[in-house]
Amino acid sequence: MSKKRVSVIGAGPAGLKAAATLAANGIQVKLFERSNLTGGHLSQWHTLFPTLEPASDLIQSLQSSLDHPNIELLSLKSIQSMHSINGKWEIISTEGERFESDAVLIATGFKLFEANRKEEYGYGMYPQVVTSADVEAIFNGQQNWPFQAEVTPLRIGLVHCVGSRDAKCGNRYCSKVCCVTAVKQAIGIKKKFPEAQVYCFYMDMRMFGVGYEELYHTAQTKYNIQFIRGRLSEASPSEGSRVQVKAEDTLMGKPIKLILNMLVLMVGMEPSFQLRKQENDFYFEQNSFGDGFMQPLDPWIGSNSYNQSGLFMAGACKGPSSLPEVIQDAKAASMEICNYLNTVL
Amino acid sequence: MSVDFGFYAAPVRSIDLDKPLSSEIELIFEKEPSLHRCISCGQCAAICTAGHFTKMQFYKINLKAHRGESEHVKELAEKCMLCGKCQLVCPRGVNIRHGILLMSELS
Repeated sequence: MSKKRVSVIGAGPAGLKAAATLAANGIQVKLFERSNLTGGHLSQWHTLFPTLEPASDLIQSLQSSLDHPNIELLSLKSIQSMHSINGKWEIISTEGERFESDAVLIATGFKLFEANRKEEYGYGMYPQVVTSADVEAIFNGQQNWPFQAEVTPLRIGLVHCVGSRDAKCGNRYCSKVCCVTAVKQAIGIKKKFPEAQVYCFYMDMRMFGVGYEELYHTAQTKYNIQFIRGRLSEASPSEGSRVQVKAEDTLMGKPIKLILNMLVLMVGMEPSFQLRKQENDFYFEQNSFGDGFMQPLDPWIGSNSYNQSGLFMAGACKGPSSLPEVIQDAKAASMEICNYLNTVL
Repeated sequence: MSVDFGFYAAPVRSIDLDKPLSSEIELIFEKEPSLHRCISCGQCAAICTAGHFTKMQFYKINLKAHRGESEHVKELAEKCMLCGKCQLVCPRGVNIRHGILLMSELS
């Protein structure tokens, strides 16, 4: 009997974990990745909340499982479309190559909100305005701080919910991980510059995960990071290559102003593509304004299944999620696929 | 001689975070760092007996101190009777009575 075959689209944390789980269950996996690197966004991060462990540890652990005879990694391979014929799935790459399998797992993750769309914050205009992804790159030594390290007083602000919970951006949902990422990065900044004053501008502090609220506690008490309830109205250039920000302190009921050496925009998550069905073919297409994430059969029992036999999904392509959630979801989807292959084939 | 033109320049009411906190306020936070943990949930004020008759709202006083609006902090803190009910209910474990005592000792 020939081995059962599954195509996994996307080699981020979800795709890597699913490929490893499926392979360990005797399934032949083709892992498609459009870039030349595996690990997805995780490969850009520096530390992980809430434990502040280096992200590289998790990437290495996920990548090491790729070294399995049942896994074939096809990097620099973008998928254009796919369809199912007589219970077999055929995937077609943008170069026109065709790959056959018994089931398909979509693990294409998310893309970051493009911060320049929030024009009032001046990303791309003022060098002092950076995104949370830039801060990770700075911590990784791939970018420089946008100020002189010896400058005093050093003031840094972080704005939550950039591109999230914002109908003006077409994204009404919460991106979940930005609050705790802001707390993590604020602590990282205070560790690097103990004299700096760090301010977080938030709408709500959504510290939903295990250990998140405790990290928030630590940020307040040990690092004296100031949390101000109220979103920035705008950032404008100020003297000495700094930016002036304005907000309403909604707890004080008063306007607040402040000149910062660096303003960090906590960018949210957006779907990385839309799956469009035409006749029997599924096409991967660019998003447009207000497009949502992939919808599973239902949010409970069928949360890894698509409304099409043999098509599955896992991870942040379904909506904003933290890394533990993504990894658990990939394992759950793998189990779903095993069950499907055992009953159908 | 002042002439009444029927209008006046309103004082700026915005909070200026560029101004550093006074050293006296900084010292309070140093002596009682749990004050930083307040999240303005308001439970302290909701249970406060003094708050029925005065403007005693601990979370608000603490917030004012954090934002550098400290001119009325001492006066407001002095309304407290130190009964400690607020501290029994505070979900973040702020040492409110110590904070209030330090604030009422401001010059």
